[in-house]
Amino acid sequence: MTALAANGSAVSIRLRMLAVAAGLALATLAVAGQLLRLGTVGFGDASMASAEPINQSFSRPDIVDRDGRIIATDVAANSLFADPALIFDRDEVAEKLSRALPGIDAEELRAQLADRNRRFVWIRRGLAPIEAQRVHDLGLPGLAFRRELKRVYPSGSLLGHIVGQVNPDNRGISGIEHFIDESGAAEPVHGAVTSSAQPVRLSVDLGVQHAVLDELTKAVARYRATGAAGLVMNVSSGEIVAAASWPPIDPNVPGSIPDKDKPDRLQGGVYELGSMFKALTIAMSLDDGLATLDKVYDVTRPLTFGRFEITDLHSLGRPLSVRDIFIHSSNVGAAMMAMEAGNSRQLVFLARMGLTEPIRTEAGPVAPPLLPQRWGNVETATIAFGHGIAVAPLQFTAVMASLVNGGHRVTPTFLARPLGSDSPGEVVIKPATSAAIRELMRLNVTMAHGTGRRAEVEGYRVGGKTGTAEMPGKGGYKEKSVISSFVSALPMDHPRYIMLVSLFEPQPEEGKSHGITAGLNAAPVTAAIVERVAPILGVLPRRVATVR
Amino acid sequence: MRRVLAILAGLASVLAATWLYSLKHDTARLEATVHATERAIEKAEGDIAALKAERAWLGRPDRIDELARKQGLEPIRPEQYGRIGGRP
Repeated sequence: MTALAANGSAVSIRLRMLAVAAGLALATLAVAGQLLRLGTVGFGDASMASAEPINQSFSRPDIVDRDGRIIATDVAANSLFADPALIFDRDEVAEKLSRALPGIDAEELRAQLADRNRRFVWIRRGLAPIEAQRVHDLGLPGLAFRRELKRVYPSGSLLGHIVGQVNPDNRGISGIEHFIDESGAAEPVHGAVTSSAQPVRLSVDLGVQHAVLDELTKAVARYRATGAAGLVMNVSSGEIVAAASWPPIDPNVPGSIPDKDKPDRLQGGVYELGSMFKALTIAMSLDDGLATLDKVYDVTRPLTFGRFEITDLHSLGRPLSVRDIFIHSSNVGAAMMAMEAGNSRQLVFLARMGLTEPIRTEAGPVAPPLLPQRWGNVETATIAFGHGIAVAPLQFTAVMASLVNGGHRVTPTFLARPLGSDSPGEVVIKPATSAAIRELMRLNVTMAHGTGRRAEVEGYRVGGKTGTAEMPGKGGYKEKSVISSFVSALPMDHPRYIMLVSLFEPQPEEGKSHGITAGLNAAPVTAAIVERVAPILGVLPRRVATVR
Repeated sequence: MRRVLAILAGLASVLAATWLYSLKHDTARLEATVHATERAIEKAEGDIAALKAERAWLGRPDRIDELARKQGLEPIRPEQYGRIGGRP
């Protein structure tokens, strides 16, 4: 009995020991397994909860000029935000920040920080390094920085109207910047990751742009004008080499575009452009075979339409040939030519040239042309010399390019066209008509009594047409307020560039002349621009001395 | 015999564990280096972007114009062109 019992208890002890050993072994295995798992797989990424909204910013390709000079680029900047839950003393933070960063309203900031459920409040984005340091030195809890991209425009106000601007998220909202977003080249990013995309290469040449803007600035001072515009365009490809509006605008200042005091005068508004339209009227008559350069019109008497009368400023008192109508800028002559052609022919011609439909460029839509409501005889006669129709100067210049480039249509663009891709556009006038207009434009500068004689620059063969248009005011036209323009091409025997210079409300030059007509201001300004930009554009003067 | 095997197995597991941990530490260190390098790259890229903008700002045509004129330079005039060797 005892032996049995002893035997039985020995078995049970062994069983228990086995059970304990098995339990210990399992536990050891579990520990080893866990160790192995941690050793090989790791702890996993520690994630921190954040109540911050997902904030997206955009990285943008650089904008460069035709020679690769930077017009716009992204730099990393510090953006300041606050976590209201971590702020002890709201008043202190608001007070100190408004002192450290000019332009921050303490009241407004206090209100923003009042909601303790919010964990993320932007205070100021794109701080300058020195501002960031100042805030850092305040040592306030609950404030932190984040690296973000900020768009900068190193050339300042040189090309403001064209490049446009971005919003605080670095999205383009106007000009070329908006075009970049539309074409999908701006990529969403987190943090300050600069774009690896190819830069957007413009057709603009910063050197030419500067020379044009500089001469316009001088002209505004000399003629006490209220504004000015200058455009240089490749006459066959439509590439815009310079496009300046005075006063210029600085895209580095957030929210500065658009500014109604600094309008884009080239494509943001329409104007009656005056006598420059006579080139179109004459081209129409020549192209449709209604006239030749030698055909004579009797311009001695004013044209009357009821109570409305068309006269010439300085009538020569004799009939004029088409050549003379252009060079003396005879309103009566141009009106007679348009009347001879008729209303519908004029409308069809202007439509064919591309002057009646709205166009757009990469910098945005061009202000649509303002046509007369009713296209009657009076309208036909006044449109012949550029009144009664208002167009954007950029659109007009593109049309004028067709008149001198041999007769094919030109589509204006701000992008550099790849080499060898400039296939000429559709033919709109005969090459012979274009040659005749070139001859007239050159004569207008070389002849002693030509209205454009002050645009002559020795050797460069400039040709052009003046236009002095009275600006519409209350109850009619204002006689003393004009837009004086000069449209020109160079070199006139084989044009490569077309230029437009417009001065808004110029006054007579002090101590020199009494007139405000384009021949006295826009033409000499054109000469000054040509002299500076021709060397940059690679246009060589005709008579070159020989170096031995 | 069994005891020898057990001791050997124990030694082997200790060795294996040591190797495993050193590997893990190396990985962690490498990861830290990678992060540091990434940060350095980001910083360098930021610096390059800033320098690029600064160079463009220093080279803007209105500034160069002013500096060049102070040196007595001016745009080339038509009569200053010449052809080399008398060929037309």
